[in-house]
Amino acid sequence: MPVLTYLDAIRQGIWEEMERDPSVFLLGEDIGVYGGAFKVTAGMLEKFGEDRVVDTPISESAIVGAAVGAALMGMRPIAEMQFMDFISCGFDQIVNMAAKIHYRWGAKVPLVIRGPSGAGTHGGPYHSQSNEMWFVHTPGLKVVAPATAYDAKGLIKAAIRDDNPVIFFEHKFLYRRIKEEIPTGDYVVPIGKAIVRREGTDISVITYGAMVWTALEAAQDLEKDGISLEVVDLRSLLPYDEETVLTSVRKCNKVILLHEDTRTGGMAGELAALIAERAFEDLDGPVVRVTAPDTPVPFSPPLEEYFLPNAKKLMDAVRTLAEF
Amino acid sequence: MAAKKTANTISHGGRLPKKTLERMLYCLKVTREAESRIERVLYRQGKIVGGVYTGRGQEAIGVGSAIQLVDGDVVLPSHRDFSSFFIRGFTLREIFLNWMARAEGPARGRDNTLHLGDIKRGVIPIISSLGATCPVACGAAMTLKWRGKGHVALVHFGEGTTSRGDVHEAMNWASVMTLPVIFICNNNSYAYSTPTEKQFVVGKIAARAAGYAMPGVTVDGNNVLAVHGAVRKAIERARSGMGPSFIECKTFRMTGHSAHDAANYVPKLLLEKWAQRDPILQLEKLLLQQKLITRGRIQKMEKEIHQQVDEAVAYAEASPMPEGADALKGVYCEPECWWQDRRP
Amino acid sequence: MSTNVIMPQMGESVAEGTVVKWLKKVGERVERDEPLFEISTDKVDAEIPSPASGVLTKILVKENETVEVNTVVAEIDGEAARVATPEEKKQAAPPATVPPALPLPSGVKAVTRVAAPPQRVQGEGEKIRSSPLVRRIARENNVDLTLVHGTGLGGRVSKKDILSYVAQSPIGGTVPAAPRPIPSAARQSAGPRMAFSSPTEVLAMTPMRRQIAEHMMASQQTSAHVATVYEVELTKVVEMRAQHGAEFEKRNGLKLTYTTFLIRAAVEALKEFPIFNSSVEGTNIVYKRDVNIGVAVTLDTGLIVPVIKRAGEKNFLEIARAVQALAERARGKKLSVEDVQGGTFTITNPGAFGSLFGIPIINQPQVAILGVGGIEKRVVVRHDAIAIRPMVYLSLSFDHRIIDGALANQFMGRVKTYLENWDEPVI
Repeated sequence: MPVLTYLDAIRQGIWEEMERDPSVFLLGEDIGVYGGAFKVTAGMLEKFGEDRVVDTPISESAIVGAAVGAALMGMRPIAEMQFMDFISCGFDQIVNMAAKIHYRWGAKVPLVIRGPSGAGTHGGPYHSQSNEMWFVHTPGLKVVAPATAYDAKGLIKAAIRDDNPVIFFEHKFLYRRIKEEIPTGDYVVPIGKAIVRREGTDISVITYGAMVWTALEAAQDLEKDGISLEVVDLRSLLPYDEETVLTSVRKCNKVILLHEDTRTGGMAGELAALIAERAFEDLDGPVVRVTAPDTPVPFSPPLEEYFLPNAKKLMDAVRTLAEF
Repeated sequence: MAAKKTANTISHGGRLPKKTLERMLYCLKVTREAESRIERVLYRQGKIVGGVYTGRGQEAIGVGSAIQLVDGDVVLPSHRDFSSFFIRGFTLREIFLNWMARAEGPARGRDNTLHLGDIKRGVIPIISSLGATCPVACGAAMTLKWRGKGHVALVHFGEGTTSRGDVHEAMNWASVMTLPVIFICNNNSYAYSTPTEKQFVVGKIAARAAGYAMPGVTVDGNNVLAVHGAVRKAIERARSGMGPSFIECKTFRMTGHSAHDAANYVPKLLLEKWAQRDPILQLEKLLLQQKLITRGRIQKMEKEIHQQVDEAVAYAEASPMPEGADALKGVYCEPECWWQDRRP
Repeated sequence: MSTNVIMPQMGESVAEGTVVKWLKKVGERVERDEPLFEISTDKVDAEIPSPASGVLTKILVKENETVEVNTVVAEIDGEAARVATPEEKKQAAPPATVPPALPLPSGVKAVTRVAAPPQRVQGEGEKIRSSPLVRRIARENNVDLTLVHGTGLGGRVSKKDILSYVAQSPIGGTVPAAPRPIPSAARQSAGPRMAFSSPTEVLAMTPMRRQIAEHMMASQQTSAHVATVYEVELTKVVEMRAQHGAEFEKRNGLKLTYTTFLIRAAVEALKEFPIFNSSVEGTNIVYKRDVNIGVAVTLDTGLIVPVIKRAGEKNFLEIARAVQALAERARGKKLSVEDVQGGTFTITNPGAFGSLFGIPIINQPQVAILGVGGIEKRVVVRHDAIAIRPMVYLSLSFDHRIIDGALANQFMGRVKTYLENWDEPVI
């Protein structure tokens, strides 16, 4: 099996879907001639032509709006946000137009909005955000955030084939840092299903995106101390896999919710509420969040490092909770 | 709906056939009667749920434009374009069901007023943050262009909406991509209570078109034939692959912003002046003068319309409200689609 | 038919309106859509058309009076269809954002929708630091948390602590939260002793003894015990054992015991009569999806009831294996908490010690228990002739609160038929 980076896995997934289905097309800023700011769409213009790889003006609202219009007419657009930070410019089209059309009048809106999110690259406040929760709080959307190359390909394919608007959060820190063997054939990773990345018995760490790797790193270190971490990768944030979360909590009885997104109103809060409602009597300790603080993402390396959760911060939390 | 015509066999210029003119008058009158019933009768009887926004006085814009669309074209009407929905095939029953929030209505109680969509009938409705349909029209038009059958997208919005960024993004986009979109601005002089001079200082909003290198014209929006002519030219241009156009239809909102708005900020004299230019009276007068219709025929038409509206209202009133728990259904389009299951 | 005329809502935010003028008097006829009255609201003044044709019979809101929107302001008696007032509209209220129903323990379905009241945790000191999980385990195992040594932060009783405590206390099963205080056997023994002339020796009960004592007393206090006894012929079962016992043991490394036959027969009867696989919670009967059979095992220190989980889904061999494994763990004192929890029905075997039959006490919160007497050849009458057959007495104690005698006898009839006509292959 070929070894692909996270970025190449996304690219291959899109490529295969465009070959498979002529209604799939791309639109976004600098995606054609230039191949995208991160080169996710490199070579696609040459392969698929101008009608299917559309370079657009810098108009995020129109990018999303046009994607909606095309989706309504039977196409399956994939809109790129050059950085997910700029998705706010298309917010109304996503949350008021795309998300609500099916509920309001029954039409299908099969579209994907994808782009790089996340910090760790000293991108500063406008090239580093983890802003997935803006959309997790919008019924009608689906929100996914793959952590591995395998999932990135399988989920982009699932997103393209889905009949609903899917917001696809790629983590730019992972683009070229992780590689894995990917099956050559067609496969999809279903939206809404989490996966246990590592089995453990003492504390369940529930996370997604780049933090999955942080959790696995901590788990390895903690093993030496006799603490067994279970790591659950949510993969999809809306809808999310309640059962896998609850099963893990019921098994370990202690849980840490980890994400790179800021604290208040983050996914961790949602998961904590779920656990309190449905697994209260399975808890042998407080539900603990390890997240970024409630600040914008700072730029200077020491500041950014302070901001981001990492294996050490997670291990500190694990040790405290283990002793509880 | 002019189902038999196709995009490539549309008549160019010249006098409109008598049948078309009579149909225009009929559509104008249906719109006026239905909207009057909604605003001045049913709403006040508590039978309409939610707010009421009508297009009294500006019916000619929807009629003059939608009447020349063919199957495969797409229209994105504004909330004051009742006639666009009617001409594209939404029945009076469907429309009244929706105003009364009934389960059987096209939106099944999920969305109100004229938020009615149906891709088969080529209608994409607004969302309440107006202007958002302009980029959507561009996306629809991209698809129409790729399919190469000469179909067009018509998007309607008010002059207040032109202050929104989406309108700019869409006009620029349509122009850059040479898309078959016709931007139709119903300039009815007030955005809720705000007069045009507080929205923009350029005298005619059509002047904006030049900035996007597209044709922009200002026409009498109360003259259905003037609207028809301007839209016809824009459609011809779009169908032949020359790209978008902008049409400003000058008109006047003869009601409040909504039925609960007494619109005391509108000078009485202005209302009286515009009442003289009522689009329905104008067309009626013209047709009578040119002996294209008789008073008897008009009276018969009005009687029929009254009956049609009565029937639709009675039907809607007798129709059940939705079940509360249905609110949970159809959030996502899944293989077992709730909408598909219940579609007759 | 009369029609209510209401104060219309003229704008989303408008809450009330004032009747400015009535255009019709009581008794006057009004046509549908004919102006009936004038109103004034915060936003607009309007003339309101009549919703129906008929005679204005009542004016309920006088001129210059202000009322809330949707208030009935007048009535019209006429032929027109009634206007649905908001109260009459069949539109259900939007669901509040309530959490999903609290989960019942796995495999339990409540018979009614009435949520069972939360059970009080018994014997837990208010000041013991623990966790929701620990409190649940304590409740399920009738553990007094004050007795558990806490090793967590600040002496908190942790999951590990309670699990090791429970694992050391051998009785399985659960004790329900009783609605009234249970007289404690242990406490009674500590009370004033009766005068007794001859010398005595006082020994404190072992923790296991104490738990059994409490458990048995609690059951007596809780259930309305009734028993029924059946005599069952085991010819077919004995033949099965004789024919296949050796082969069974060779293939599976297990003895082909009567217990497995009895469990299978009980499982079949439980499937047919699910009320025997239920428990009582307040005024609800809680039916359990899984059939988990407890089998009482005697230890030299007392009694323990390991549980065969999901016995309803296991075949003969799987049950035999489970019995064997649990018995080994019980004797080796290696049972886990899991092993002794969650039973839904119990089988006990006083016959092992030569009893003809026993009348067992129900293992709470279950509602029935099957007692197996000694198996021996007895003289019986068959076809009006004396015959010698392997026989057993099976007794069933059941909770008369929810199970009547007729049903108990049908249940036992099913067990008897199954055993007497045994045709299930064992290999």
